[in-house]
This record gives sequence, structure tokens and C-alpha cells, in this order.
Amino acid sequence: MSAATPSRETSNTVRLLAPGVVWMILFLVAPIMMILYVSFWTQTTFAINSTLTLDSWKNFFGSEAYVGALWTTIRLWLIVLSLTILIGYPAALYVGLLVKSKTVSTILLVLCVIPFWTSFLIRVLAWRPMLGKEGAINIILQKLGLIDSPIEVLLFSELSVIIGMTQIYVVFMVGPIAFMLGRIDRNIIEAARDLGAGFGRIFWKIVLPLSLPGVVVGSIFVSVMVLGEFATSGALSGRKVNLLGNIIVTQVGSLKWAMASVVGVILTILLGIVVAGFLRIVDLKREI
Amino acid sequence: MESKVLKPILAVYVGLFILFLYGPFIVLGILSFQQGPEGGPQFPILSWSTYWYQHLFGLTPPSRIAPLPVGEALIRSLVLAFMTMVTSTVLGVMAAQAFRKRFRGSGIVFYLIVLGMMVPGVLTGLGTSLLANNVLGIDRHWWSTAFLAHVVYTFPFAFLVMLAILNRFDGSVEEASWSLGVSPIRTFRKVTFPLIFPGVLSAMLFAFTLSFDEFPRTLFASGRDQTLPLAIYGTFSVEIHPNIFAFGVMTTLFSFALLSVYGILMALSVRRAKKMAMQEDIA
Repeated sequence: MSAATPSRETSNTVRLLAPGVVWMILFLVAPIMMILYVSFWTQTTFAINSTLTLDSWKNFFGSEAYVGALWTTIRLWLIVLSLTILIGYPAALYVGLLVKSKTVSTILLVLCVIPFWTSFLIRVLAWRPMLGKEGAINIILQKLGLIDSPIEVLLFSELSVIIGMTQIYVVFMVGPIAFMLGRIDRNIIEAARDLGAGFGRIFWKIVLPLSLPGVVVGSIFVSVMVLGEFATSGALSGRKVNLLGNIIVTQVGSLKWAMASVVGVILTILLGIVVAGFLRIVDLKREI
Repeated sequence: MESKVLKPILAVYVGLFILFLYGPFIVLGILSFQQGPEGGPQFPILSWSTYWYQHLFGLTPPSRIAPLPVGEALIRSLVLAFMTMVTSTVLGVMAAQAFRKRFRGSGIVFYLIVLGMMVPGVLTGLGTSLLANNVLGIDRHWWSTAFLAHVVYTFPFAFLVMLAILNRFDGSVEEASWSLGVSPIRTFRKVTFPLIFPGVLSAMLFAFTLSFDEFPRTLFASGRDQTLPLAIYGTFSVEIHPNIFAFGVMTTLFSFALLSVYGILMALSVRRAKKMAMQEDIA
């Protein structure tokens, strides 16, 4: 019998939770707090000390390169997010709603997930022989006679970073949308059709609103990952595209901890605003 | 009816979409069979060969192209992924077990745990290395600081998987065991654990693969000794050769092997559960 007294149950809960909670406070919350703290430290050429100062913050906002990285990050995030929605939604519509057989739908979803079994960095690298001057896309386009000379902007440009990120992250958009579409009661659609609604009307009035939570969850996934990116931009842009993540990596590389921390705080704030904004659109707790 | 037109169009679209997902990897697979050592990481294929696969295992005569420094890195990554898997699964099962009872502050604890998978790796990595390097003044290693950061990332996944499993769990079998005088620990081992084992397996799979492939956190939080993703990243900055493509194909095959082991274990545990249910029916 669960004759345990309430206090014994409480202590049991505490015992079960304590290791995980302590781990997260020490190794997640404390490190994030450290970023904020160190961003106010004094940086000299070779060392850093804990005298508090605003110098690094002034440096950040005084430098065109750093503020430029902030705008590049926001621009690239908006582009990649829109592309993942535009490219992912129709695919999710087919997989989640139009395919009648559950098996086919599952197979298609599994097909989408399989590439994730390859190392993330290899997947990024795989775009190089695809997009390069002598890459697969240029060769195919030339063979088809669509272009005379290879397109050079495909690789080592902002475009290649956008293509690479969209391909890597679009599945995180397809999954949640397909999940929400799959939960729509088919009878509602039937009823609307019986009442004479065309597909367009059914889509705008029923399907889209009901799938919106999926779009929001997908957007949160994609945003968090794109905003924190640095590997894709580093590997596919030939260091031409600098995101906030790239600045952090180079600053840490040259032991400029204070500046790296400033960029880290700005990235955290940006993420907080974006995620809070998405959560305002849809009340996730109620929907799921 | 518009959907009569729409459905085939979208079917073709999904085909193209899957091609988009797989395209780069197909090209990478083809180019891994480039002739060596002269053939570069691009078309045309000079002649088909398995040179780069042999190169990977050190079976080719020495050439100007250095072998990938993956041997020790692979072992480190496997050990790290194993440590991370065990730790985060244990933490995940414990925390999810606690969440079966309502308690005050459960909302905050839930978000605290889930935060670990939401915060980008570049931030966790930076914070961890700041804490180790500038405040505590300790060295960073893949088995110490990077391990801590990995668990922060994988523990939430294990927790959520176990939460989903335990939500559907019928608590009456445990109560039956308790009422027969079996101690809670023994009940957990003999009754609860076998029933939630498929979930534990999934949590382990998540934790292992996420840690094995984890890059940003490791980049900041580990020291001089590289893990596998760091070794791959190191080749980015120098000229790339088809050996890295061959390596990509090999790691993918390894992943599928791992996935098969998971599938087999899963099938076995499902079959055992069915068998037990049948025996109960007979009894």
C-alpha cells in the first residue's frame, strides 16, 4: 500500500529530483549567469580581470563589424525561417493530411529523419561538392544547356549558407506541422465540404488555423538552432558571413573572453525575445 | 475537386523535397569513390576506386595527403557518448519518476530541465568554459567539462521520453506489488523497470547519438584532445579531400548499425512483453 506519509513522499520526490536539478543549476544556469557577469570584466590584451567595466559593451556597439554581425544574424534567421515554412509546409500538408494511409505517412516521415543519422558536420560539408564551381548543380545545369558558364555565387556566399541551413533545419518544421495536421478531425473537413466549401476555403478556415501551433513549435526549433549557428556559416561562406556565433568562436579563440560574453548576452536576449514572441502567438500549454 | 489536382502535385513536390534532403549526401557518396590520390573532392570522377576507404584505414602507401586524425578521436567520442548516455538516462528516469506525483514548483523544475535542450550549444559551451577557465581555473577536458555540458543537453531528451512513457504507465501493478509487501526499490527493479524498458532504450539512443555528434558544446568545453566532430571540423579549414567523404559514408553506416541494434533490442522486449501477457491470459 502507498501508506507513505505526505512528508515521506515529499522527501522521496526531492531525492529523485535533486541530482538533475542540481546538475542543471550548476552546469546550465550558473554558466549562463557567468556569461552576463564576465561581459562586464576588464579585458587587456593578454588577460582578463574581474574589475567591472562597460568597455566591452561600448566596443561592441561602437564596432561596425560586430553590430553588422547582429544584423546579419537577424537577416539570415528571417530568411531561413521563412524558407523552412514555405518549403516545409506543403510537404507537411501532404504527409500529415493528404496521405490516407498511416504506413505511407510514417515511411515518409522516417525518410525525412534518416539524414540526421549522418554527422551534422558531414551534412554541412556535403554541400561543397554540390554547390561549387565544378559542383553537381553547375554541371547538371550546364549539361541541360540552361547556363553557359558556371554560377559562382552558389558556394562561399550568403546564398550557400541559406541553402545549407534550410536543408538541414527544414525537417524540424515539417515534423511539428505534420503532427498537428495529423490530429485534425477528418469529419470537420468532410462537414465543411458537404456544406459546399471549396478546398481554398477549407484550407484558410480550418486547416491553417489548426496547424498553426505546429508552425509555432517548428519556428521555435528552427529559430533557436539558426540563431546559435556558426558551423554552417563558417564552412559554407568561406568566412564571408559572420553570425553572432562566429564572433563568439573567434573571440574565444583569441582569448577575448569579455567580448565573447557580450556577444553571448546579446544572443541570449535575441533568443529570449524571439521565443517569447512565438509563445505569445499560440498558447502551447493549451494546444498540446 | 481541387484536391484531385492538388494531391498529385504535392506528391511530386514531396518527391523533390526528399531529393533536396538527400541530394548532397548522394553526391558525397558518389565522390567518395573518386580515384586517389590525385582525384579531388569534385566532379568529374577520374575513375572509380575504393582508394579513399583504404586511405581511411591506413592501407594505402603514404602520400602527400595525411590520414584523417580520427582513430583516437573516435574512441574518445564513443567513451564520452557512453558516459553521457548512462548519466542522462539515470537522471532522466529519476526526474520523470518524480513527476508522476504532483508537487509544488513542478512547472519551474520542468522548464529548468527543458531549458537544457533549448539553449544553443554555443552559449552553454561558452558559459561552461568561462566557469572552468576564468573562475575555477581548472583545465577543460572532453571527459570533464565537455561531459558536464553534454549531459545538460541530453538529460532533457531522456527526461521527456521517460515522461511520455510514464504518463501512459498503469500504476496499479506497482501498488499490487507494494501491497504484497515488496519493497519500493525491489518493485522498481522487478516491476516498473521491465515495463518502462522500451522507453529507457529510446532515451539511451537519444542521449548516445546526440552526444556522439555534439559539436558546439564540445568545441568550447573540451580541451586539447579532440573528439570526432572536432577532428572533422579541423579538416574544414584546410583543403578537403575525398577521404572525408568516405569517412562520412562510414559514420552513416555505423549509425545504421547502431539503429539496427536498437531495433532488435526493441523488437525483443516487445516480444517478451507479449509472451508474458499471453502467459497471464493462460493463467
